[in-house]
This record gives sequence, C-alpha cells and structure tokens, in this order.
Amino acid sequence: MARPTRHRQGWITYPLLLVVAGIGLLPYYWMVSCSLKTNATMFAVPPQWIPDPINWRAYGEAWRAQDFTRYFLNTGLVAIAITAGNLLLGSLAGYSLSKFRYFGRGFLFLLILSTMMLPLEVTMVPLFLIVKKLNWPNTYEGLIVPFLVEGFGVFLMRQYLQGIPNELIEAARIDGASELRIYAQIVMPLCKPALAALGVFTFREAWDMYIWPLIIVTKDSLRTLPLGISLFMSSFGTAWDQLMAVAAIGTLPMVLLFFFLQRSFIQGIAITGLKE
Amino acid sequence: MRPANNAGLARIIHEFFLNNPGWEKRLRVLASAQQPLLRKWFRLDVGAKQALFGYAILLPTLAIILVFRFLPMVQAFYISLHEYDLIRPPKFIGLANFVDLLQDPLFLNSARVSIAYVVFSCVPVWVLSLGLAVLFNREIRAKNLFRSAAFMPVVMPAVVNALVWTFMYHQDGVVNTILGWFGIDPIPWLRSSTWALWAIILIGIWRATPYYMVIFLAGLQAIPHEYYEAAQIDGASPWGQFRHITLPLLKPTTLLVMVMSVIVAMKVFAVPLIMTGGGPVDSTRVLPLFIYQTAFEFFKMGRAAAMSVFLFAAVMVFTLLQIRLFARGED
Repeated sequence: MARPTRHRQGWITYPLLLVVAGIGLLPYYWMVSCSLKTNATMFAVPPQWIPDPINWRAYGEAWRAQDFTRYFLNTGLVAIAITAGNLLLGSLAGYSLSKFRYFGRGFLFLLILSTMMLPLEVTMVPLFLIVKKLNWPNTYEGLIVPFLVEGFGVFLMRQYLQGIPNELIEAARIDGASELRIYAQIVMPLCKPALAALGVFTFREAWDMYIWPLIIVTKDSLRTLPLGISLFMSSFGTAWDQLMAVAAIGTLPMVLLFFFLQRSFIQGIAITGLKE
Repeated sequence: MRPANNAGLARIIHEFFLNNPGWEKRLRVLASAQQPLLRKWFRLDVGAKQALFGYAILLPTLAIILVFRFLPMVQAFYISLHEYDLIRPPKFIGLANFVDLLQDPLFLNSARVSIAYVVFSCVPVWVLSLGLAVLFNREIRAKNLFRSAAFMPVVMPAVVNALVWTFMYHQDGVVNTILGWFGIDPIPWLRSSTWALWAIILIGIWRATPYYMVIFLAGLQAIPHEYYEAAQIDGASPWGQFRHITLPLLKPTTLLVMVMSVIVAMKVFAVPLIMTGGGPVDSTRVLPLFIYQTAFEFFKMGRAAAMSVFLFAAVMVFTLLQIRLFARGED
C-alpha cells in the first residue's frame, strides 16, 4: 500500500511467500516424488528429494491390486449426482425463498438454514438407522439421496437471487412465459457464477466424503475412492510407493478442478464467509 | 354380453330422465353452479398461483431436509434414552446413558482431546489465515501463483491428506528431516502419546488456514481503499492502519471465521481415524471418532447417540451464534 516502503518490505515479503508456498506444496511434492521411488529409495536417510531411479511401476501395480477403477467411477458417479441435485434443488429452493411470497416463508428459510451447521457427526447414528430402514445400505441411493440438497446451497442461491431485479421476472410473466420457463430460461442463466461456485464446492465436498460411505458401504463394488484408499492403507500398509500412487490419482481430479475452475473454486469458499 | 348390458344401462338412465324431468334440470343446475368453483381451481388469481408454484419447487428440498436432517436429530434424542445394539429391539433405560458417560473416563478423555484439538488448532488458524490474507491483499508480483500454492492444502482430499502426512511424519521422514536443518531432534510424531495429537493439530492448521484466508481476503477486499489513503495522509504506520482500520472493519468476518472454524474442528474425523485410530493410548480419540467407534465397532447405538447429544449441544451453541451473525447481515 505504502509505495515508498514497498521495496524495503519486499525483502521480507518474498521469502515469506516462498516459505508459505513451500509449506502448501510440500505434501503434494512428497506424494508424487515418493510414488516414483522404489522400495529401496523410499526410506533412504537422508530422504531423497529427487527420486532416482524414477519408477512408474507403482501406479500400475496399485491400480491392479484393488478394483480402483470401480472405486473411481463410484466416487465420480456419487459426486456428480450429489452436485447435480444440489444445483437443481438448491436453485429451485433459493428461487422460491427469494422471489415468491407465501405463508411461512421466513420460517421455512430458517428451518433450512438451521441445518447448515448440523454436522453429520451428530446425526450419523440415527441417519444410519433411517437409511437402514429404507433398505439403502450398500446402494447408490444410500450414498446419494441424503445429500441431494444442503442448507448451504439453498442459502447461497437465495442470497444471490435476491440481487436479481424482480422487474425482470414480472416482465417475463407479462409476456406470458410460464413459471418453469422463467426459472429455466431467464433466472438460471443469470445465476451462472453462483451455480458454478456452488457446483465446484459441492463436488469437492462429495469427492471428499468419507465418514458416510464408511458407515453404509460394506460391499466392495460400492466402495468410493476414499474408502478404497484407506482400506488399501490398512491392508498394504508397507507398500508406500503404491499408496502414494493411489493417493496421487485420487487427488488429481481435485487439482484439475481447481486449476480449470479456480475462480469458482475460491468463490464457493469465499461465499461461506459472506453475509450478504 | 357386456354391450347388451351397457345398452341396457343407458336405456335405464334415459328412461329415468324421461320419467323424472325435474331431475335432469336439477343436475344441470348443479353442474353450472360448480363452474365458477372449477374455474377458480384452474384459474387461481395470480398471487395464489405463484405462491403455489413457490411451495411446489421448495417441496423436494423440504422433504429431504426433514427426512434426512431433522428426523435424525429428533431420533438422536430418542435413541439416546435406549439401549440398542441393532439386533435386539431398543430397550428404554432413561438417562442411564448420560449418567454412564459422565462417569466414563474414556468419554471424558475424548471430550478433553476434542477441546484441546479445537483450541490449539483454531487459535493459530485465526492468526495465520488473517496474516496470510493481509499478505495477499498487497500488491505483489506473481500474486496468483503464490496464492494458488498457498491454497493447495484445501484442494487435497482428507483421506489423501491423512495418508501423505502419515508418511511424512515417519521417524526418518521429511518432517523430521526439515526440523533437523534447524537442529531439532527427530520427534516420534504418531508413535508417542504426547506428540500424536500435536501431529494431527498441525495437519488441521495446514489444511484450514488457506480456507479461512480466502474468507478473510474477501472481507479485506470489501474495505474501501480511501480509508487507507486517508490514514496514510495522516501519517499512520502500517501497524496503526491494521489496528485501527483493518481489524475493526473486519470484525464481522473475524467472528464468522471463529465460529466456522470451531465447528469444523469439532467435526474432525478422517485424519485421526486413518492416522492413529484414536491412539496411542487414546491420545487422539476425538469425540466424532469415539462416537463412530462406539456405534459401528461396538454397536452401542444408544450410548453413541447420547454422545452425539453432547456434541450437538456444543455445536448448537456455536450454530446459534452463527445464525445470529448471518441474520444480522440480513437487515
């Protein structure tokens, strides 16, 4: 900010930034470099910073050791379904709560809002019993349906939609557009930034989901990637090159998501801290 | 057979109306009287129709939230009053679960571990995330690159995070190597009951700091530049500007970050489960992990639900705080 002092501060700022960047990236670097080491160089003292020789075998071996392709597809399917559900239901509910007047609206909003921070850790026992009663353990329904909509998504969409002028919707009504058409063709295109932020945020959370699949999945064919990785860790605990290879593959989609949708990725998080 | 019957029925009806002319008229009157009502159903006035549409599109969300959020919450209280092992039917035992828990050294230890985790991971996160946000709010070269690098911990999935750090915390691992550069002796991170919790706390800090940094950055960017310019004209030092402009104007954001980070820290689960399973000697058995193990390893559903009620009470205090913060932003 203060221009005259900027050069002087640069001496502290840039080394500090380098340290911060280093701390942020170290586990990534270590994961990838160790996935390329051999079992002999893995525990070298002092540790090898650059793997020598480079050994790609671990990727293939780990992938074949368990049905990771299946886990990967399961995780993708579950994450995509949950994301689609949150986008659709969250935007519908947000639209309803921001642009329609009806009895009980404020109360219903508060009801939904109050679930925002109700953690799964509190409700996991009864939620498991409910899902069990529905006969959903070891099914995709059990993995997906309870998470199709979250208070956060409704809240985010409602806040964003409040910024969209009512006149726009009124004008479309006067032109004779049906309510569904107004939602789909007029309101939603205006919500793209919010939808993108919510979509990326939800996808990340769903990809990361661990405690719930751990509770309701016992069948191998339904395991998600986080389950597969933790299982692999407990059964092949010493094959660190393979473990790191699996970890790297499990991280890759998130890294790609971050690099291609960086703005939405960060906005989704920034919004969790905004009140308006 | 059937056509003949139908014809017969039609004939009977026809004859009925022929013989009772008053009835046909009465039916006609009745039908025409219904018309405005029917019309009303199909052509509701615009406001009511819109309200109905509003309800309709909210319905799926409400259904899911009620069945999968509120019902479990209510059930948690119900189950907490029972002894239930998933096999025999639940047996009502009153408050015995709660009484037992308060005398159970394992539960009290678990609560202590959770509190220690929350306190010692959150306080550094507040300071570091605000510091980083201030740093990244300056004009710096290659800002995007540095910011992305600093943000990367948020990108890593929790399970991968636990796996990679387990390896890094190894006796001859990279963490101890780096500490060695500064003359610090190797630390038996995950194998020692004094260090294991600190190992997990460090990961929590590593992962949470960039998350709240982003929230602080959004808050900082909302502060008008003119304030700083005016302060500089008055000769305020950078620290003075921070103390008297940044901190007061960032207060709502700061409060929010405090509340959010505490709630998130209360829920930590994957990292301790994978890295230590709660050990060594219960030193990392945080409450969510203990709830999970009680319910799904020892199948004591009632006891686990009672623990959830305690966790719920703790989270609720902070949730109410947060809703109040959100609500204040509403008006």
